Amino acid sequence: MTEFTYSNIKREMETYGYDSVVKSHCRMCHGGCGVLVYTKNGKAVKIAGDPDCSINHGTLCSKGIASTQLAYHPDRLKYPVKRVGAKASGNWERISWDEALNTIAERIVQYKKAFGAESIVMGYGTGRENEGVIYRFANLLGTPNVLTAGHFCYGPRIATSIITCGSNPIVDYENNPKCIMVWGNNLVIGNSDEYKGESFSVSLEKGAKLIAVDPRLTRIAARADIWLQLRPGTDTALALGMLNVIVNEKLYDTEFVENYVHGWEPFVKRVNEYPLNKVEKITWVPKEKIREAARLFATTKPAAIQWGVAIEQQINCADNNRSLMALMGITGNIDVPGGQVLFRAPKVRTVAEFGAHKKLSKEQAAKRLGADRFRLAGNFAIINPKCVWDAILTKKPYPVKMLFLISSNPVMTRANAKEVYRALEKVEFMAVSDFFLTPTAELADIVLPASTWLEMDYIGDFWKRHGYILPRRKVIQVGECRSDHEMLNDLAHRVGQGEYWWDSFEGALDYILEPMGTTWQKFSETDYIRGEVTYQKYKKKGFSTPTNKFELYSTLLEKWGYDPLPQYREVPESPLSSPELYKQYPYILITGMRSPGFFHTENRQVPWLRELHREPVVEIHPETAKKEGIREGDWVIIESPRGKVRQRAKIFAGIDPRVIGAQHAWWFPERKDPGHGWDESNINILTDNAYEGCDPAMGATNVRTLLCKIYPE
Amino acid sequence: MKKYALVIDHEACWGCKACEVACKQENNSTDGVQLISVLEVGPKIIDGKLDFFFQVNVCRHCDDPPCAEVCPEKAISKREDGIVVMDYEKCTGCQACIEACPYDAIAFDMNKGIAQKCNLCHHRVDRGLIPACADNVCLAHCIYFGDPDEIRQMISKKRRFNK
Repeated sequence: MTEFTYSNIKREMETYGYDSVVKSHCRMCHGGCGVLVYTKNGKAVKIAGDPDCSINHGTLCSKGIASTQLAYHPDRLKYPVKRVGAKASGNWERISWDEALNTIAERIVQYKKAFGAESIVMGYGTGRENEGVIYRFANLLGTPNVLTAGHFCYGPRIATSIITCGSNPIVDYENNPKCIMVWGNNLVIGNSDEYKGESFSVSLEKGAKLIAVDPRLTRIAARADIWLQLRPGTDTALALGMLNVIVNEKLYDTEFVENYVHGWEPFVKRVNEYPLNKVEKITWVPKEKIREAARLFATTKPAAIQWGVAIEQQINCADNNRSLMALMGITGNIDVPGGQVLFRAPKVRTVAEFGAHKKLSKEQAAKRLGADRFRLAGNFAIINPKCVWDAILTKKPYPVKMLFLISSNPVMTRANAKEVYRALEKVEFMAVSDFFLTPTAELADIVLPASTWLEMDYIGDFWKRHGYILPRRKVIQVGECRSDHEMLNDLAHRVGQGEYWWDSFEGALDYILEPMGTTWQKFSETDYIRGEVTYQKYKKKGFSTPTNKFELYSTLLEKWGYDPLPQYREVPESPLSSPELYKQYPYILITGMRSPGFFHTENRQVPWLRELHREPVVEIHPETAKKEGIREGDWVIIESPRGKVRQRAKIFAGIDPRVIGAQHAWWFPERKDPGHGWDESNINILTDNAYEGCDPAMGATNVRTLLCKIYPE
Repeated sequence: MKKYALVIDHEACWGCKACEVACKQENNSTDGVQLISVLEVGPKIIDGKLDFFFQVNVCRHCDDPPCAEVCPEKAISKREDGIVVMDYEKCTGCQACIEACPYDAIAFDMNKGIAQKCNLCHHRVDRGLIPACADNVCLAHCIYFGDPDEIRQMISKKRRFNK
């Protein structure tokens, strides 16, 4: 009888005659998994999970498996191009790397001299492990303006956790939490950040209790012991209601509260402003259920909260995060096995140090766009995108002349897409680095061909908070594509930053690893390096905050002029805050449900992944559909005060009849006109980016919850 | 002879579709031809609770396969180890098997003009390799390959532990 074993590398090699198998680190999302890349005749031909990787244990998501189809896609940009017609004319001409980088360098030098370095905005989308190198380039150039998703994705987790407890508390799935509260997150589909569906699944198999907080019935919500189907955008109120129960029923960890928190008394006063009767009215969640969930979470040890981006793309961004951290903290689940751990990274140079933030002069840092308004963001070198569009369109507070967007598609991913488009049409010079000519790239002057993860050496997860670094090894070369790291290392020499950079980017990898006494060559022979794992570090050293305590009451927010305690702000566009508008737009629209295979705007041209979802889909409750005369599969128009888009109706009883759930980031790469259908189904045509609707501290744009009407096309 | 089977623990499935893409990578079936597919069931009220789950549809490798019976070309046969294999060389595209399959688990490849179904990666199994979808891809560890009785025991043990 044949013995079957998982991931049998030897037999794979023999059976298919592969030439080699390379261990590497996938980067199809915001985190990464260990992978095996099988090659034949110099090509990567099969991707599988690495069974020796302690992040994914051999499993792999659809995005990772399909990486070869991305790398070898016939539409991939394989050499630099310059635009030879009007913007969005689709007329491109091949140029050499020298011409491309010299043209970009000339513009940078020219704008810096004439308008100051702040007139040049560098940007990236969801950080694809190029953030360190982009910040390094920007800081050395002297521009404080790096336009990222950081105002409303992951950046808030980093910023709010640093001011609250010193670092981002990561769920310790390895030690099997006994209760997991999944809050607005579908990690089994997204698998991003430090969190992989695999380790979560294993914890459930081992018997963890499950609480789901989600306006939609996901499979996680369906499997949960308790599902709290809240009104979209009311997360802080719900968390404060749960805190109210935990405080008043004395279910908190008294030893932790007595010794390690700052601001207990004012915090108790604040949570008492959120009795369950009031919270039920705000959140639509029955108070009995809130109480039941609070008790289960507080009395099951260890317990953990699985969070994600959904709660960050709201006006209550920072307070959503801070109130969830309060739940983790006062229940004694911070930095304990099976709770949420402040993991230590291996002793390498940090991404902050590599990003050369100290090289930016105070004078230049003071010019950071929007930093006077969004002061939590400003202190973490993060800016709100509208500040950039306004600076381009109105020249206030100063003109922005150049954008350099690296792996970013803001026409699709930033709120108020029509305004974004106008700004990109107007900006004097724009360079883009990407895999394809995206709707954003079609507005550029020069587009550079970027490498996928299969085509680069890098220290994977160098900037993550789970305490691991893993080698990403270059397996193939496609066309003239270059990694963002190599490209910026080259460009840096052309703009006079050479002394801070290296002959090749391997020098940078050695520099990052140097404090560990290792080099890239040596590191690349290992599977991974993990930082030292220790628990309850605060008992010896306190928390890395101004008071050395877990700051329920944030002294830094207070210093920056904000409420130091979490509070609920009503959603900017809602039945309560804009009742007149609600008469015309009678449904709450939520955006951004996760679909297997896609990562925001990515992968719609990858055949195996597009096959999973051909078209954009909007979820409508059966009662609502009947009322509006909508049938399953109809094209429907979703309209907000900003505009309208079309998506296909899916009748779905797992959503409240008052709520509509639409998908985000849809464009149609198969359409060969330069617009690629960017404004047809793009949910950001509908979203608003007004400053008043953004989180006052973090500048997070409220793209997740707005008002809409919906009707058959 | 020991029998092989592919068993899916639907309770654990998250609907992530990694199995679909793993199958594509291995078998490279034409766009639109899915040898394994993850279907949404519900949401519907089950035992007074709104439930929603996924069901993976794939050839069941029936003991007495009706598809094999109706195939005029004798292109479908059941091996001793239980795997029902469709020989694409022999298929003429009459689609009788598609009509006969009670599980809607046979697809038609319009480009090639032939039927296609999951052959349980017999080309891998014969070399001692686990079928692509079951080879430790699944994030939920819910796809099992091997002896059907042993798998059922394993799943029920897991359930008891879970409760």
